[in-house]
Amino acid sequence: MQPLDFSILLQGDAPQMLAHGIALMLELTAVAWLIAMVLGTLLALVRMTRLRVAEVAVGAWVEYHQNVPMLVQIFLWYFGIATLLPTALQMWLNRHDGEFTFAVIAIGLATSAYMSEGLRGGIRSIPSSQIEAARALGLSYLQSFRHVVFPQAFRIALPTLVNHTVLLFKNTSLAMTIGVAEMMYATREIESRTFKTIEIYLLATVIYLGISLVIMAGGSFAERRLRVATR
Amino acid sequence: MGDIAAIIHDYGVLLLVGQYPTGPLGGLALTFILAVLGLALAFPLSVILALARVSPFRLLYWPATALVYVMRGLPLIMLIFWVYFFLPVLLGRPVSGFSTLLATLVIYEAAYLAEIVRAGIESLPRGQMEAARSVGLTYMQAMRKVVLPQAIYNMIPAMLSQLVSTIKETSLGYVISVNELTFAANQINSTLLTKPFPVFVVLATIYFVLCFSLTQVARQLERRVARRRAGIAGATAAPLVVPDIAAIAE
Amino acid sequence: MIQFEGVNKWYGDYRALHDIDAIVAKGEVVVVCGPSGSGKSTLIRTVNRLEEIQKGRILFDGQDVHAPSLDVNRFRSRVGFVFQSFNLFPHLSVADNIMLAPTTVLRRDKSQARKRAEELLARVGLAAKIDAYPGQLSGGQQQRVAIARALAMDPPAMLFDEPTSALDPEMVGEVLQVMKSLARDGMTMICVTHEMNFAREVADRVLFMDHGRIVETGTPDGFFSNPQSDRAQRFLADLRSH
Repeated sequence: MQPLDFSILLQGDAPQMLAHGIALMLELTAVAWLIAMVLGTLLALVRMTRLRVAEVAVGAWVEYHQNVPMLVQIFLWYFGIATLLPTALQMWLNRHDGEFTFAVIAIGLATSAYMSEGLRGGIRSIPSSQIEAARALGLSYLQSFRHVVFPQAFRIALPTLVNHTVLLFKNTSLAMTIGVAEMMYATREIESRTFKTIEIYLLATVIYLGISLVIMAGGSFAERRLRVATR
Repeated sequence: MGDIAAIIHDYGVLLLVGQYPTGPLGGLALTFILAVLGLALAFPLSVILALARVSPFRLLYWPATALVYVMRGLPLIMLIFWVYFFLPVLLGRPVSGFSTLLATLVIYEAAYLAEIVRAGIESLPRGQMEAARSVGLTYMQAMRKVVLPQAIYNMIPAMLSQLVSTIKETSLGYVISVNELTFAANQINSTLLTKPFPVFVVLATIYFVLCFSLTQVARQLERRVARRRAGIAGATAAPLVVPDIAAIAE
Repeated sequence: MIQFEGVNKWYGDYRALHDIDAIVAKGEVVVVCGPSGSGKSTLIRTVNRLEEIQKGRILFDGQDVHAPSLDVNRFRSRVGFVFQSFNLFPHLSVADNIMLAPTTVLRRDKSQARKRAEELLARVGLAAKIDAYPGQLSGGQQQRVAIARALAMDPPAMLFDEPTSALDPEMVGEVLQVMKSLARDGMTMICVTHEMNFAREVADRVLFMDHGRIVETGTPDGFFSNPQSDRAQRFLADLRSH
């Protein structure tokens, strides 16, 4: 076997493609995560109202996103729903990173389902006596939720939220299938040009693992800090 | 709606079983076989990994832990490309897409299943191992006859959930042209060209029906397992913390 | 101060409270006792509307507690409630537990609220624990903090729902001590409790409840040494035999 030659990766287009790929990967992650967290929180709150409509609607949302593969959801958005949009919008999207947009929407919405379930679990695990105690002091329902329920629910949901953040990050690699030039796409491109498969795969692996571990470590750190506060 | 009916009518068989019997198996049948086979082959590996993860021997613990963390941190698609490249080199001959995907799933699932089995082991009251050792069983005998059977029974719902995840993961076979369900649907789309939305709606629906049904079964089993645990262990049962990583969204 | 007029409550078909009539005057300490299921907890929880009533009226300082137009939150900030299981907020320090309601509901200034918290903790004997977390405190300490938390709102009346029932025996005394000092300072109190000595020392009246009705009332001495009704006699006999 040939000795590994990483210098090839510093020549020609490779560094630029990699840098661009990493940037896109991080952008995809950031935007999708924001969508997932905001929507996930909203969905959890809506479900708390206990209205039949809310239960059914949010329940259906969650079940759909949890039982259809991420890749299929991306295809459905990019190849399917995109064609249903008015032509003018389609053309505009084509010229303005439509692939990125649909990838982010698909991944963000799918993850929001998991986030909302995590938060819902956290909220449900708070004994009703906590709310009673808060109400007995004169706090309104909203105040009780804000100061007593949510802080505790969030702490309990944190491991789930962190796990799904890592999964969200890993899922950005699927965007390559619709032509988003993120890390995985760049990796394959460089492989096909330089034939230095091991080198580029190793680099990509290290980057993916590195960032995943950073997210997991960040989560552990946050868990520990929040737990110290309650002890 | 009419489009969807037409697609199901014209391509239903293709989606369900591929070109069988006049050609190789494909579609949903292949998806299901890949998932079940993958999980079945991964299972023995996962038990070994789980035991390594709970063992006090650093020589066993660290490699197993490293493997689990690598699988948790690496996107599945990246792993598929690794295996796609490496397996033929390792075996010295070309490898089919099916085998590549199967091998990938076995490694990936082994790591995730290992965490489930480990959670099952750790959720058993300590007293079980202690009682087994007290009557003279060795560690491995106690594991085999007392701890693991109970741990695995308790984790059956979680493993069923993992099957659902694996079914979803087979969709990545698309990138290496394995003729599973997603690839088949894309073929149909390339043929029809003007009806992408109905095609993908049908695709999503098939996955949904399969995965949702299995998830419901898992939930029912969860309730049964919980009832049995409550009856047996009574107040000494440790809370059953199913590792959330099992809910893989791929 | 607190008046019960023909109060009735149903849980579906089950009648939990039967035509309750009672008056608690300002500064009075009333002990409510009875066997489990007698409705005593339910009764005390109707006073601050943790439970609803279907018939009758409860007046607090002249206000109809169950009137739909009542600002419930505002009202509850004027009635202190101490729970059997303390219900402190585990994610907040002792200081924050006590300061939460005054700063959020009464909109008091933080430094003022903290000073008041210090005073109240000193009063219940826990000044040193001001920055501790509930998880670090014993049951008796938690309950005393819970009392301080309720007092932080400067309520004219305090309700106690079996405040010592969840405590280990050696911690009951420290909590009763605090309650007794409150009583002696003239606080209007309704206490659901089995602690007979407490009742004897500070209660002005005892209400004995059974099956949702007030079966007997009287002075502590009178009730405990000479119960009139059959059920009260049986109840006290059971209590003493433990």
